[in-house]
Amino acid sequence: MKISFYLNGKDTCVDVPADRKLVSVLREDLELTGTKEGCGAGECGACTILVDGHVRLSCLMTAAQAQGRRITTIEGLAENGKVHPVQEAFIENGAVQCGFCTPGMVLAAVDLLDRNPDPTREQIREGLSGNLCRCSGYVKIVDAVEAAAGKIGRGKSR
Amino acid sequence: MTTRMIEVGYPVPRFDARAKVTGEEKFAIDYSREGMLWAGARRAGLAHGVIRSIDISQAAALPGVYAVLTRRDVPGTNRQGIILKDQPVLAGRKVRHCGDPVALVLAEDRDVLEKALGLIAVDLEPLEGVFDPEDGLRPDAPLVHESGNLLHKAVIKVGDARKALGECDVVIEDSFEVPAQEHAFLETENGLAWQEEGGRITMVVSTQAPFRDRFEIAHALGLDVEAIRVVSPCLGGGFGGKDGATVQCLLALAALRAGGRPVRMLWRREESFSAGYKRHPVRMRYRVGAMRDGALHSIDCRLIYDTGPYAHLGVEVMALGMEHACGPYRVPNTLVEGLCVYTNNPISGAMRGFGVCQASFGIESMMDQLASKLGMSRLDIRLKNALRRGDRNGAGVTLVHSTGIVPCLEALGGHRLWKQSAKWKSEAGPYKKRGVGIAAVSNAIGYGRGLPDSAIARVDLTKEGKIRIYSSVADMGQGNSNAFVQIAGQILRQDGSRLEIIQPDTDLAHPSGSSSAGRTTYTYGNALIKACEDLREKLVHRATLLLMLDEPAGLVLLPGKVKHLPSGEEVPFELLGRVLSETDRIAVKEFVMPVAQDNVDSAKEFKLGFPHVLFSYAAHLVYVEIDELTGKIDVKEYLAVTEGGRVINPASFDQQVHGAIAQGLGYGLMEEVLTERGKILNPDFTNYIIPTSLDIPDITSVCVETEESTGPFGMKGIGEVGTNAPLPAIAGGVEDALGRRIRRSPLTAASVLAAPGGKGATG
Amino acid sequence: MREVILPGSIEELWRCLDDKPQASVYAGGTDLLVKMYNGLFDPEALICLDRIEELKEVGEQGGSIRIGACATHSGLLEDPLVRKRLPALWKAIGGIGSPPVRNMGTIGGNICTASPAGDTLPPLYAMKAEVELLSREGSRRVPIPEFITGPGATCLKRAEILSAVWVKKPEGYNLHHFEKVGLRSALACSVVSMAALLRLRPEGIVEKAALAWGSVAPTVFRCPEAEEALAGKPLCAESLSKAAELVRDGVSPISDLRADADYRRAVAGNLLLRLVDIADEGKGR
Repeated sequence: MKISFYLNGKDTCVDVPADRKLVSVLREDLELTGTKEGCGAGECGACTILVDGHVRLSCLMTAAQAQGRRITTIEGLAENGKVHPVQEAFIENGAVQCGFCTPGMVLAAVDLLDRNPDPTREQIREGLSGNLCRCSGYVKIVDAVEAAAGKIGRGKSR
Repeated sequence: MTTRMIEVGYPVPRFDARAKVTGEEKFAIDYSREGMLWAGARRAGLAHGVIRSIDISQAAALPGVYAVLTRRDVPGTNRQGIILKDQPVLAGRKVRHCGDPVALVLAEDRDVLEKALGLIAVDLEPLEGVFDPEDGLRPDAPLVHESGNLLHKAVIKVGDARKALGECDVVIEDSFEVPAQEHAFLETENGLAWQEEGGRITMVVSTQAPFRDRFEIAHALGLDVEAIRVVSPCLGGGFGGKDGATVQCLLALAALRAGGRPVRMLWRREESFSAGYKRHPVRMRYRVGAMRDGALHSIDCRLIYDTGPYAHLGVEVMALGMEHACGPYRVPNTLVEGLCVYTNNPISGAMRGFGVCQASFGIESMMDQLASKLGMSRLDIRLKNALRRGDRNGAGVTLVHSTGIVPCLEALGGHRLWKQSAKWKSEAGPYKKRGVGIAAVSNAIGYGRGLPDSAIARVDLTKEGKIRIYSSVADMGQGNSNAFVQIAGQILRQDGSRLEIIQPDTDLAHPSGSSSAGRTTYTYGNALIKACEDLREKLVHRATLLLMLDEPAGLVLLPGKVKHLPSGEEVPFELLGRVLSETDRIAVKEFVMPVAQDNVDSAKEFKLGFPHVLFSYAAHLVYVEIDELTGKIDVKEYLAVTEGGRVINPASFDQQVHGAIAQGLGYGLMEEVLTERGKILNPDFTNYIIPTSLDIPDITSVCVETEESTGPFGMKGIGEVGTNAPLPAIAGGVEDALGRRIRRSPLTAASVLAAPGGKGATG
Repeated sequence: MREVILPGSIEELWRCLDDKPQASVYAGGTDLLVKMYNGLFDPEALICLDRIEELKEVGEQGGSIRIGACATHSGLLEDPLVRKRLPALWKAIGGIGSPPVRNMGTIGGNICTASPAGDTLPPLYAMKAEVELLSREGSRRVPIPEFITGPGATCLKRAEILSAVWVKKPEGYNLHHFEKVGLRSALACSVVSMAALLRLRPEGIVEKAALAWGSVAPTVFRCPEAEEALAGKPLCAESLSKAAELVRDGVSPISDLRADADYRRAVAGNLLLRLVDIADEGKGR
């Protein structure tokens, strides 16, 4: 089945089985390996992508469901070689360890800050609660999102 | 790459962070090659049985199946294992746990692979199994291996513990139990392998021990070690679970039979649960005696480790657990007995805390009870007995290196969370009970005696004038490679734009030990310091030549160049890179970790892995709040005070502390691999639960710095020590709240509710 | 390969179902696709309701609120009508899975999955919700306890979909409570859950109570005995403890990997005791 969607700012068309897992389309057919797969059951969040700006689990979507959607994977977050403020904050705040949860975690944070630009730490924890991290204990990830919120907020008020 | 100076002692952002936040970092799972086949194992699904027959005909006939292999197709010994090689690559005669592989399928894609695996008919004659280590020791128990179910028995004996118990003012006795824990790294076991022309096998694999893997594969498949190249990109988590062969031998076998095509093997999450390694379930019985003033006088304990069906690192895990069974305390008389027993449960092995996690629950629970019995504070009794440099520990080793448990406990005692604990407890809301728990722990560094804990570092000036480090110990996320970059940056005075690091590749780097045992940065870092100093001298000397100076005096390294300070003349690295021959641009140095110099005769049954001489220390404090209506334990505050020598990167230090605590809280509160007759009942992330961001509180990490004179820039590894304290600290907090101790982990809401003081069945 | 069809309207849906009468219909996919991708379920074709906007609408009609079956949990959390008028349901939805799961999963899916642990079910039962079932022939409304016939079982017919859920605005209740007990704080399946709606007189006497529990019986458990026992009594530990006993007598929980039956039984009753503090907190605000 031919499926067209807007991926990371580009019109994209793939010819894949309609019921193929979207994460496999991204990772294997389009070679966008930044999106990870950790459990295949919607429990870990490693496969998180943005669909029309909102977090979704690409391991629980059929390829057909991407039709016509605006999809952002981690590869599509930086603009003109400049990383997103959330990515920058993850780097600066020590929020990255093994890095396997990181792409999903970053996208979850981007969506969270879109909806709530000034979250409390508890709200950040809530917003990231679908993304498991086994390395960090989440503390520095929450720090990073808090820092990113501040940075984005200052950017907007300017 | 950043142009900031990369130095030791600062929270320099990890050099790998940028590639990881943009998704560019390639893990083993992200590698693929044209024409790739998929390999997968048919698992036994039965914990103990004799293989009557394996019918592969239907699977082999399925279109898209490239090959189906069984035991008969395995060249070599068909035996893998790190020390004792008792684990078959493909089971041929019998299966000893549900995850044993009995056939290997190579297929064109994953769907065909799954279908083919389902078409393999395995006829097994069920055997009685051993599912409890104590049952396994009965004379009439079924045998997991013909050699008997007792894999190893050992004793650590200092003084005369049993006699000394009679001399004590108080003696307490208790028993504890901990179940298996899953590593639950997010990147499951996987790799990609292919046979080069000429027959060599290259394997890109998620592994903690690339150099050792070659020996395991070579032994199992009858290959030459040099015929195997292992490449180990950054791991998506390891925690001990990728120390030792996972996919390696199966994947190499597949590559040998793939006609030169690349083969990928990727364990699904359920397969990772059933075939992967676990933290050992342990049963412990303790008798602890002390004098009226709180001084420990005698510890007599027995630890029984359920090691599963294969030796793997079972004996070594037990050895380390036994070595730590008396805690970070001075005890003149100790008797620690350990039994490591084969069962038909999942395979136990290395996991962060390596046997110490379990024993810490035992000894720290005893310390709490001793404090109550003697009417002392939990902090005071620990301080009273805490080891100081020069003391002999419970295994009879004199601590000649940095020993920081006293300053850790003192810092805990001075912290507001300790001082305010009584007030905080008194402010519990309706149906809430509050408690505060503490724990003091240590964790040894390195392999211990019996084999050299060594690393060989290589650092190059590249042709392009960059400094390139060839790491030979894998980075599973702990950030050792960042520490290496910092060390090189510090010694060679370079900024981030000049530094590169290559993850382990056995063809490029030099042999080193595994990424484990808190040794990674310590051992390789020490080797790297020497290599960097060597390279620095080389660069200065060659610059002397190029500048036609009399002698190297006055020459210093600066970012991208060597500068002659008196004249201001410079030699750019680019020039040095061009004019130096390849062999002249390389520095290679080795380091071997020191071992105990005592004539330690407290244990005779350990061939290797005992004793240790370097330890890191930590004291933790936790505030727990229990909901009386549901039994749910909420961790409200967490303080960790850690001593690991000097700190190379404070941010990485905290990362390790936080992460260890999160795994420890999971272990204490919710994680347990549930089995029934050896079959895992919760082999997925739906039913095996690990903490989410809402389950871990903010953690206060305090660093108590000492100087470890043998460590690189004074450091010791602290990756593991933090895992050992959360469970006993929580258990202590729960007892403080409820007035009753829970002796089995995890401390679930149900176990709390069932405890007197909880609102159990009668409300 | 199986076909995946994404009809854009209900009309189109009927045509798809005519073409593929054996197709499985799904909305968020958070339950069905897990099963399918793990080989537990092999549908002939899939029809995804994701694109049918008319199934996502939320609105008031008379004294009732009609929630389109394909409204996502996230959508409902942001809906002022649900938040203000149906606070117990709103709270239950907020505790489902995780943010991505709530972005994908729908209320209709939660109902049709008919899990004893379904988080939206106890509040819907307590509020006597009805489901609207739609087929080409027309629609029918069925009270939710009749719709869910057992664990994982409903009376949904072939070529029929759950199109909406109707909830009467719970006027007169001034305490709306939902509590879920899971094994962790997110991504958790409920071990016990309870929805409680109370009408409290100013002096603290319970006039009327509507209570429902999840995960303690094959389907949602109601306890008229406990509701009656509370009526006319002051909201206090003593009256709640008595009611809790009736609850513990009435539930029929199972033991599974998450918890044993004794725990579920004890906690099902215990959760009632929290109501005093919930009422106090409400007064404080």
